Amino acid sequence: MTDPIDDNKAASPEAWLRGEARIVRRPLATAVLLGVAGAVLIIIQARVLAGACHDIVINGVGRNSILPAAVTIALMALLRGIVAWLAEHRLIRAATVVKQLIIGRLYRHLQLLLPSGVTGEDAGTLAEIVTSGVEGIESYLTRFLPQLILAALLPLLMLATVVPVEWRAGIVLLFSAPFIPLLMILIGKGAERLNQRQWGKLTRMAGHLLDLVQGLPDLKIFGAARREAALVAEVSEDYRRSTMAVLRIAFLSALMLEFFATVGTAVVAVITGFMLLSGRLELSGGLFVLLLAPEFYLPLRTLGLSWHSRMNGTAAAAKILPLLLRPLPSLESGVLPPPDSPPSLQLENVTFLYGGTRGGIRDVSLELPAGSVTAIIGESGSGKSTIARLLLGLSSPEQGRVLLDGLELNNFDQARWREKLAWVPQRPFFSAASIRDNLLTAKKNATEGDLFKTLDTAALTSVIARLPDGLDTLLGDRGAGLSGGELRRLALARLMLRDPLLIVLDEPTAGLDRLNEQLLVEAIARLAAGRTMIVISHREEALKHCTQTLRIADGRLVQALSGETSNGVIT
Amino acid sequence: MRGLARILRVMSTRQWRWMVAGILVGILVIAANIALMAVSGWFIASMAVAGATKVSFNYALPAVAIRALAIIRTLGRYAERLVTHEAAFRMLADLRSWLFERLIPLAPAGLENYAGGDLSGRLRADVDNMESLYLRIIAPIATGLAVMLLAPFCLSLFSPAAGLALLIALFAAGMVLPLLTRKMAVVPGGNTVRLAGELRVAVTEGLQGAEELLLLGASGEQARRVEALYAGITAGQRRLGGINGVAVGGVVAAGGITLAIILTVASAEVYSGSLSGPELVMMLLFAAASFEGIAPLAAALQTLPATSATAGRLVELSSAPLPLAEPATPSMPSQGHGIVFSNVCFAYGDGAEVLNDFSLTVPQGARVALTGPSGRGKSSIMEILLRFRPYRGSITIGGTELRDIAGDRIPELITAAPQRPHLFNGSIRANILLGAPDADDERIRAALDDSGLSAWIGTLPDGLDTAVGVAGSAVSGGEARRVALARMLLHDAPIVLLDEPTEGLDVVTEAVVVARLKERLQGKTVLLITHRTACLAMADSVVQL
Repeated sequence: MTDPIDDNKAASPEAWLRGEARIVRRPLATAVLLGVAGAVLIIIQARVLAGACHDIVINGVGRNSILPAAVTIALMALLRGIVAWLAEHRLIRAATVVKQLIIGRLYRHLQLLLPSGVTGEDAGTLAEIVTSGVEGIESYLTRFLPQLILAALLPLLMLATVVPVEWRAGIVLLFSAPFIPLLMILIGKGAERLNQRQWGKLTRMAGHLLDLVQGLPDLKIFGAARREAALVAEVSEDYRRSTMAVLRIAFLSALMLEFFATVGTAVVAVITGFMLLSGRLELSGGLFVLLLAPEFYLPLRTLGLSWHSRMNGTAAAAKILPLLLRPLPSLESGVLPPPDSPPSLQLENVTFLYGGTRGGIRDVSLELPAGSVTAIIGESGSGKSTIARLLLGLSSPEQGRVLLDGLELNNFDQARWREKLAWVPQRPFFSAASIRDNLLTAKKNATEGDLFKTLDTAALTSVIARLPDGLDTLLGDRGAGLSGGELRRLALARLMLRDPLLIVLDEPTAGLDRLNEQLLVEAIARLAAGRTMIVISHREEALKHCTQTLRIADGRLVQALSGETSNGVIT
Repeated sequence: MRGLARILRVMSTRQWRWMVAGILVGILVIAANIALMAVSGWFIASMAVAGATKVSFNYALPAVAIRALAIIRTLGRYAERLVTHEAAFRMLADLRSWLFERLIPLAPAGLENYAGGDLSGRLRADVDNMESLYLRIIAPIATGLAVMLLAPFCLSLFSPAAGLALLIALFAAGMVLPLLTRKMAVVPGGNTVRLAGELRVAVTEGLQGAEELLLLGASGEQARRVEALYAGITAGQRRLGGINGVAVGGVVAAGGITLAIILTVASAEVYSGSLSGPELVMMLLFAAASFEGIAPLAAALQTLPATSATAGRLVELSSAPLPLAEPATPSMPSQGHGIVFSNVCFAYGDGAEVLNDFSLTVPQGARVALTGPSGRGKSSIMEILLRFRPYRGSITIGGTELRDIAGDRIPELITAAPQRPHLFNGSIRANILLGAPDADDERIRAALDDSGLSAWIGTLPDGLDTAVGVAGSAVSGGEARRVALARMLLHDAPIVLLDEPTEGLDVVTEAVVVARLKERLQGKTVLLITHRTACLAMADSVVQL
């Protein structure tokens, strides 16, 4: 009950978003204050303009007497422009601060969640949430939140200004105002309905076109492309009809809002007009009231327009919040020192599912002998990465046991165990430093001789020689001109320096041409000597050196084959 | 801009009436609003004059005008929303159909280079972007320009000097300022887009390689890199926000300054008697209201370049050359359905040759298996036969060169189960029926049996009506491949291409499927790609690549 995570879980995405906005209350408050200041400037401007008109129309003064008023109006306008600019500036600042914090927190959290395999979503989807998702909350902070406060403050300010001048007009405004929040709710509801029904439909429609384009080869095989083309028009037409039906209703509430604002202003104009005619009000006062009447309704109308910013923001928050709330795995660590020789590993009836029905594994038992090279083959989502993570101890089984040299894995000191592990993804990570520094991260005291020896094992000597700066070539975003295969071999070279006992290679040869594949396979064979190795792949590739092949489908082991051991690479 | 014009032509050919109607209603609404403010001002001032001078004033007519204008404005706004949305949806429907028709002959080879290979992500975003073309760009620019020209003209009927002042102010605030701020935004905008791309790469790499980073102890470093990249993005966003603030503030300031100028100019004319007092008040409110009419114009002009780039990309895609040109005089095979490859060469794009002088004869009715390690061009052979990709050398089907057969006649000759079939977001039944829309239950059941699907479908609560999810995400890869196999079996053609038809099957099911296929494909010319021994039993000869 007192668990803070549970408390947070109860919080809605919007409440969370507002909580996050608290750290930028200062710039947000400043922006709101600037909004109020802008409204005060509008009042002054209207006052001066109305006074000047009075002087010209009623008192018949000439241009020179008007000049001070004209200058004041221009000055107020300039100030209003500056205030608007400053407010925009503050809002963007507030939004960027919040976004920067959230993106850092979200990314770091995911980076720790992913290796334990508990997210249940692929890295691509999560990356999309980190980038586009976080961006999506901006409009909530810059457009909706400040406007919500201004919509409460500014009409009151306008009202307080109008009442002393012409209380009857004030009463008209006051009594038309309660309708506006009511209509706002209606609009909000309408928009939400629009959002839920039509947004879903729009996504489906966009998805439909994409689905067809991605499946075009299949459509062409069966001569069905033209048939589907007719369907594209039909689906779009359907979408138009149903959306327009909803819009006709949804726009009605906007129409009502507009109607109240217009009627309110018109009634104010008529009342003021008759007060003027009867001589009980002067033109300066009457015009002042007329100029402010639209300003009374404006913040409310703007709030109505910012409603979709709220929906965008909460939709984005609804994607981010569950990820942040997912607890990080707790690491159970024993005290046994990890082995110093290539380990043997075993899964015993291991089940690991995370909520979903796909991607996990069910009741898997398998064995990796010490010093073996095991290929785990399966489709994406079949559970092969899950198995690798379990074998490494990056995630703990929900049922069953993971054994390291016959003892349960979590009896060992996990921190020291991890020092003996390595994982090479398809796109290995290199920091934006020189090749030498990247290699030295694996072994601080490696000599130049060590480096060249390891590069030689990975068949990289000639590649490095080709680079103008040799070992001092900077590895940056694009890998400094090294090909994908060369970067993977460089990762293997780094591994050899680090000398891990257990290595996981994730799709090592995917997307390589034949020469590079060959070179990589040879480097893997050299690396495999004296280590236990796991190769994850979605298809059977030219992995000649595997001692066994495990085929995984839908989270189960469907086939275990002994591979070729005859080539003598494995000792 | 040329791309935008082309796209606009596509979207407006059939829908120009709706487009024009939307713009006209938009102009009418703004005109009503401006007139409403102007008449109200004149009315108030006239009433004040009448009150002060005790001269009677006929307020009936302006009161009616105010009411009428208020109604026109309110209902007009509603009508405008409906008409412009109707126009936008109609235009969008035309665009989608047009685009899809253009993409049909290009797929798959012609689509691979679109937006750096990111076809699905890009295309979706690009078409979405075009959705707002009319609502956010065309209509606001058209109505804004109309206000910019018409409002000063009307004002100049009362005072030419004031009209000129308004024209200059509207032009400055509605055209010069947005174009200027857009220019200021080019560099930070470009930087932000570039950094956003780098951020996406860094985040994706970091999350995909999370295990490696953790074990290397490099997680923190990558996180700092992500944060640093994002700090660069936010710095750019702040600059862009500042520039946008200049645009927003500029319009506000220009509006007020214009009022001051018109006040000064017109006060002299009132003093000299060429303008009445109420007319001056009317002119001031008129000018203030016309500024509201050009506000959307600025926003439209700012987003124009990005939209134009998107349109250019779509046009470029749709007018890309066909991967394999259609024959001028198409012909069809006349001598059976044997396939002869002679000295066929093939490469993906500018890459290394995947097939080099490949020659093979597959007599009619023969079943040939192709084996060999991946990357040897097995799947390319299948795609070439389907006329998806260009080739050098000669391929004949029944004595007729493949190039001379029209692309849309290929389905009559060939049916195929590709290695990575696409399942459409619908039911299993819909996906299978793609092979033969008119197939009856009997034929469907036979195809299900022969592809080893019956047992699995029997376990599903919804059976054949089970949804497969987006791109088959609700079924496993093996199931997807078998659905594709059933779909292929329904489509009757003399030549059958199979790419790893039994991958992902367990040994028992595989044996059943192989036996069934062997029987069913009797008499067909079959090209089978596989590396599975069980599957080779289907073939009567094996070719090693």
